[in-house]
Amino acid sequence: MISKEVCERVLLRAVSTGADYAELFAENTLDHSVHMIAGKIDRIGDACVAGASVRVFKGLRSVMASTVDTTEAGLLRCAEQAAEALGEGTAQIDIVLRERLFGDIHPIRIVPSAVPNGEKIDILKRACFTAADYDKSVTQVTGTLLDVDHNILIATSEGLYTQDRQIRTRLAVTAVAEREGETQTGSCSPGRRMGLEMFETEVDPAAVGREAARQAVVMAGAGYCPAGVMPVAIGNGFGGVIFHEACGHSLEATSVAYGTSQFTGKLGQKIANEKVNAIDDGTMPNAWGSINIDDEGRPAQRNVLIEKGVLKSYMIDKMGGRRMGMEPTGNARRESYAYATTSRMTNTYIDAGDDKNEDILASIELGLYAKEMGGGSVNPATGEFNFAVREGYMIRGGKVCEPVRGASLVGKGSEVIEKIDMVGSDLLPGQGMCGSSSGSIPVNVGQPMIRVSSITVGGR
Amino acid sequence: MTFEEFKALVIGAAQAEGLADYELYYASAESTTAEAFQHEIKEFSSSLDGGVSFRCLVNGRMGYASTERLDAESAASIVKRAKDNAASLETEEQEFLAEGGQTYAVVEAQDYPLPDAAALTKAALAGQDALYAADPAVVDGCGSYAIAGRSSIALVNSRGLDLRQDAQIAVFVSSAVVSDGEEMSDSYKLRSGDLSKVDIPAAAQEAVKEAKAKLKADVAPTGSYPVVFSPKAVSSLLATYASVFSAETARKGLSRLAGREGERIAADCVTLVDDPFYPESSAKRAFDGEGNPTYTKNVIEGGVLKTLLHNMKSAAAMGKTTTGNASRASYDAAVDVSPFTMVLAPGAFTEEELLRKAGNGVYIDSLGGLHAGANPISGDFSLQSAGYMIENGAKTRAVKSFTVAGSFYELLKQITAVADTVKLEDEGSVTAFAAPAVLVEGLSIAGK
Repeated sequence: MISKEVCERVLLRAVSTGADYAELFAENTLDHSVHMIAGKIDRIGDACVAGASVRVFKGLRSVMASTVDTTEAGLLRCAEQAAEALGEGTAQIDIVLRERLFGDIHPIRIVPSAVPNGEKIDILKRACFTAADYDKSVTQVTGTLLDVDHNILIATSEGLYTQDRQIRTRLAVTAVAEREGETQTGSCSPGRRMGLEMFETEVDPAAVGREAARQAVVMAGAGYCPAGVMPVAIGNGFGGVIFHEACGHSLEATSVAYGTSQFTGKLGQKIANEKVNAIDDGTMPNAWGSINIDDEGRPAQRNVLIEKGVLKSYMIDKMGGRRMGMEPTGNARRESYAYATTSRMTNTYIDAGDDKNEDILASIELGLYAKEMGGGSVNPATGEFNFAVREGYMIRGGKVCEPVRGASLVGKGSEVIEKIDMVGSDLLPGQGMCGSSSGSIPVNVGQPMIRVSSITVGGR
Repeated sequence: MTFEEFKALVIGAAQAEGLADYELYYASAESTTAEAFQHEIKEFSSSLDGGVSFRCLVNGRMGYASTERLDAESAASIVKRAKDNAASLETEEQEFLAEGGQTYAVVEAQDYPLPDAAALTKAALAGQDALYAADPAVVDGCGSYAIAGRSSIALVNSRGLDLRQDAQIAVFVSSAVVSDGEEMSDSYKLRSGDLSKVDIPAAAQEAVKEAKAKLKADVAPTGSYPVVFSPKAVSSLLATYASVFSAETARKGLSRLAGREGERIAADCVTLVDDPFYPESSAKRAFDGEGNPTYTKNVIEGGVLKTLLHNMKSAAAMGKTTTGNASRASYDAAVDVSPFTMVLAPGAFTEEELLRKAGNGVYIDSLGGLHAGANPISGDFSLQSAGYMIENGAKTRAVKSFTVAGSFYELLKQITAVADTVKLEDEGSVTAFAAPAVLVEGLSIAGK
């Protein structure tokens, strides 16, 4: 992409006013998406994102300049801007780059950007047509097959010069079902850090369509979820969004390093129920949130965040590490060159426990079974989080009863992770896009079925 | 390579591919941000963005391709990719390009001086001083930001359209974090426009006051109450459900307002306006995302749905004319439909009168998790909320960590009174939302 020699000249310019660290990040990304509605392909997105950023650090100060002009002159201008903004000083470090490769733990076979539209359209149709045919109450189906071919180059004043190619594929189907004038939706959107072989080895497009339609049809017949405080069983897979929101974001250096996290200064302390073991693992082969290296050029790691309820690790980027006096953990991520890197999650999950799902459900006299979750959000400073229940059922006398719609769960992270008092064994990941200051990035959430002994359920 | 050079190459490539109907959309922006933390500049950033989207008509279907890389290879590649993509489309609806030679309103230019790096740094640091000076409860974690930027878009097509619009923006943000030793709370205030005229201490004090009010907030009791939504909360709801007024959404069966023009869909006191020239908005537009002239229109008038919002495609499919609401969320996004500034028109009552009418209920100041807890297709919402209890007609103790649930379609009819003061509270890159407070009879609150 950009030669070592050019990178050296750019970094030299970047450190010319006394920076103690400089980094050049360049990318060339092909974003492709095929969209379908009402059985017809109606839109194809086809974008090339290309640009670079220069970041310089001096102590706890950080400056970033980004540009779409990746010619040497453009990069030098960018480095100049960063150096100037850092202030007045003279170069303190020399730049000698050495190429390093970190290997590829996420091998790709079928590169999506090399496959013509027709083959992708076939996959999308299999999913959407299955959803449309699922039931006569299904009134609309939309689907998207998207693939990303993200090529990055990182060169730093510490001598690193490396590149990585990150290919991701995702199929998303939303079905709309109508019953007696009421409209409900269902969706299913598996993704992998894989090429189109994902649909040969991991994901059956028809099953994706079926699942989206099943949810919509079930929910179209549902009444409103009652409001109140009650015990909740949260299903496996995307249910793990509860940990992501209630706890995960508050363990990122992004908030911890600045004192705006409910878990600042709590390492080694018990912060969760002893049933809770939580892990962030960027090394899971071909998983949606996986990386070979993070966006500061550090190899992916498996970090145990919480072990038997005790806080073991935060997720830390380079600048966060400086502020916290700790080593980075391979969690530095950014959506693109245009966003300043910060600490983010990769594949984050509550590990399998030894409770049985039937015991979890049977233990609840009156409560909610949140089988499928939607997205959510959190304020790490207060720990207040919310997330939506996409498919919920009332539990009465330990039995799963009628479906209920329109529910959401709210609470405070530090309180709710104390209340996760049963953990099942059917660990499964779920895919999502996570938004934060460094943009929107792919992450896995995950968990087995868990019980939260009491939580506020928003309903009507 | 400049856009002008790139444009010439693309037009050459389009003609060589035998394309008669095509369009180039170019968006570029420069911005600078200073962010202060603990009385120092923690992060300083500058960016130069820009990208070109090319689209072309093949048998009435529109293919797209875009790039941020402006060179000869990309010029040839986006033309070829867009043509290929058009050939893969299957929709029946025809798409169109806007005609050249139309008449446009004149949008007055913002002429305040944009702050330079030194002025941004000064404002961000002054923001820190103001926050720490505002109250002893203020703790580290407070941020102050100053941002300045210029942007420009150009729209050129084979029908003789050649439009350009420049804009500038300057923003100051005061983000307060306070603690009572046990728990933290936060709030932020945003000011835009001429930064040299922003009252930085006042912004900090307001943010701190709001954050402090949320400390020791109680959880609201579960039940059904009259609810007063603040201008900010109403704007958030409008932003989340704006797509139900899009004819594109309606045409796809994803809005329940399809074909309901002329029907009563809201209470008498509800008038909803789309205003591309709203004075306080920094996104005033003379032309829409397709290059058609924009104009102000009532979407709901006295509770009656007057029109959905159209671009050329939805208008042709539904036998209407475009309302000039074609939008592009970013340079590389497909043309969709959005309002410009969506304004809930003011009513006859002061906010105090709304509280008195509510009697005993809940005042919702802010809503959270709208991307998850509100479903724009079904209309259902169940949203994390924070605000105050209303007791005997006045705001009393702060409450948080509760939800309010309902349906947007029902909510429009449940509004019983609208306050008289409109505030621009939600300003996105494409659309802004402005609203007064409203009173809604009987919504379900889940708390303790």
